[in-house]
Amino acid sequence: MSAEPNPYRSIPTQVTGVTVETPTIKTLHLRPAEPIGFLPGQFVELMLPGVGEAPFTPSSHWADKERMDISIMKAGRVTALIHELQAGDTVGVRGPFGKGYDLDEFRGREVLVVGGGCGFAPLRSLMYAFFDISSELKKLIFCGGCRSPKELLYREELDRWASRDDLDFRLTVDQGDDTWTGPVGVVTVLLHDLDIHIPEARAVVCGPPIMMMYATRKLLELGFAEDAIFLSMEKNMSCGLGKCGHCRLGTYYCCVDGPVFKYSEIKNLDGLWD
Amino acid sequence: MLAEADLYRLLERLTDTHRVVAPTSSPSGEPVFTLFPFPAERLTVATVRSVEPLKAFLFAARQKVADGFDPPPPGADSKPLCLVGVKACDLQGLATLDHVFLGGNGDRDPFYARFREQTLLIAADCAAPRPTCFCVTYDTEPYPEAGFDLGLSPVDGGYLALAGSPKGEQVLAAHADLFGPAGPVQVEAQKSSRTHAQEVVRRNLEEHAVPHHSQLDGAVERAYESPLWEEEAATCVECGACNTICPTCHCFLLYDQGGADAFARFRTWDACLLKDFARVAGGGNPRPRLWQRLRNRFEKKFDFFPKVAGHHACTGCGRCIDTCPARIDIRRVLRKAIDHVSRA
Repeated sequence: MSAEPNPYRSIPTQVTGVTVETPTIKTLHLRPAEPIGFLPGQFVELMLPGVGEAPFTPSSHWADKERMDISIMKAGRVTALIHELQAGDTVGVRGPFGKGYDLDEFRGREVLVVGGGCGFAPLRSLMYAFFDISSELKKLIFCGGCRSPKELLYREELDRWASRDDLDFRLTVDQGDDTWTGPVGVVTVLLHDLDIHIPEARAVVCGPPIMMMYATRKLLELGFAEDAIFLSMEKNMSCGLGKCGHCRLGTYYCCVDGPVFKYSEIKNLDGLWD
Repeated sequence: MLAEADLYRLLERLTDTHRVVAPTSSPSGEPVFTLFPFPAERLTVATVRSVEPLKAFLFAARQKVADGFDPPPPGADSKPLCLVGVKACDLQGLATLDHVFLGGNGDRDPFYARFREQTLLIAADCAAPRPTCFCVTYDTEPYPEAGFDLGLSPVDGGYLALAGSPKGEQVLAAHADLFGPAGPVQVEAQKSSRTHAQEVVRRNLEEHAVPHHSQLDGAVERAYESPLWEEEAATCVECGACNTICPTCHCFLLYDQGGADAFARFRTWDACLLKDFARVAGGGNPRPRLWQRLRNRFEKKFDFFPKVAGHHACTGCGRCIDTCPARIDIRRVLRKAIDHVSRA
């Protein structure tokens, strides 16, 4: 037996509960057998025994090393099977991997968070961290969008965010329904009349690639600097160690150097939004 | 000086402590690594690089990397490897694998690290380079200069032997009875054999107008928009053989097998030429076109690695040229990239 730790081994993890969030997204509540610490924005590889792994960014509070929530959209082979998990099942977790959000980049500044659809999941963990340091932020604005009210993640929790004093909270949906009284339109419609001093501000964008592309373009148009926009990139992260080669982005590996990048670092890369 | 028959004896003795793998002749002219013992007349130590790249032994094509949730099964029960007749180009290829697996990106890979540390490397001169060999373009000589434990140069009746590491010196000391003194005749023979091999490779370079590596700096990056990628990919059949046979291609696929009660994780070589290589869940694919994936292979070798590791991830071994069923020739592709740059 090698004394060297094995980076390919998963930590056995119990599913303690499953929350149905939307028709396509479920949240797994997990208790790993060994504590797993992560920073907001870092990701883990979730493994179904004998089936395979897929990368996810936890959506729970990063300081809680005993428990972890991961919200998962049914999108492929592994995630379809993950959606069949029930309380009491055992899965594996490997990680955390990569670089998350460096909170020091945001301290003392006005902060704009732009989220789309399933991007709310990783952002929830970041928002918890921002709430913890909200006295150190000059301002915190959350602009969220998703396709329809039915597909809104964490809807009850978002209602509570809406009433927070330390947060300017805005939400839009592409298409409303009877329950919806808020704005209608893609998330960039929320970015027009922000009360924010852009030259000093920092922006975080997380969501599906097409949403990130349009949101980033809008932010640049509004005057945000390229190195003031933080993107959470989604590539085919597999080993998490910068070795298997799948998630290369230019001279970076998304799994080691990301998944959080400044736009200025990756703006010229081909296939960025694919 | 090690007589031909004594090399065979040395390998026999080394089987007590090692799994000895040495090159044997094959009809194609490319030696094939074969597990010792085999008849002495099949041993062909100092001709040209083998069919298989060294990664086949240090980074196995299929490796169990986790057994259930338990710590690793690193296979420590097997004897260390002794690889015989390793050529300079393949030693050069280890620089890329070492960068990837020994910490260039942070974490070490415990499996590669164990094989790398335990393996005894007996290198040998490349006395008969193939028409596809172009190592000299990277300023690599066709004979081992560093990174080996024991080096062998073919001379009349046997080999000039040189220790390249403390491990190699131990082998020399432990088997001193097999080694005799070398004279000026053998040293002269080594020199002339090496000069001959250099000339053969240099003629290859001239014949195929292979660019010197200094011309390659930035060339693939600047030729990014060139039509050459679509031209070259026109005959590609997406077999991934260039990836598989390449001594520096390191990409792998992790996969899990079994059920909830007994499961294991394996890794197997992957190939960036294959369509789904970079595909993500939900179907997004940054390189849906075959020519984009061909370009990506060159970008990785001639742009990514120079920037992150300080060297081109190509050794000039020519394996991809010999292997490609579509006759895509890396020398031609690089020349086109440079031509594109000089025209632009």
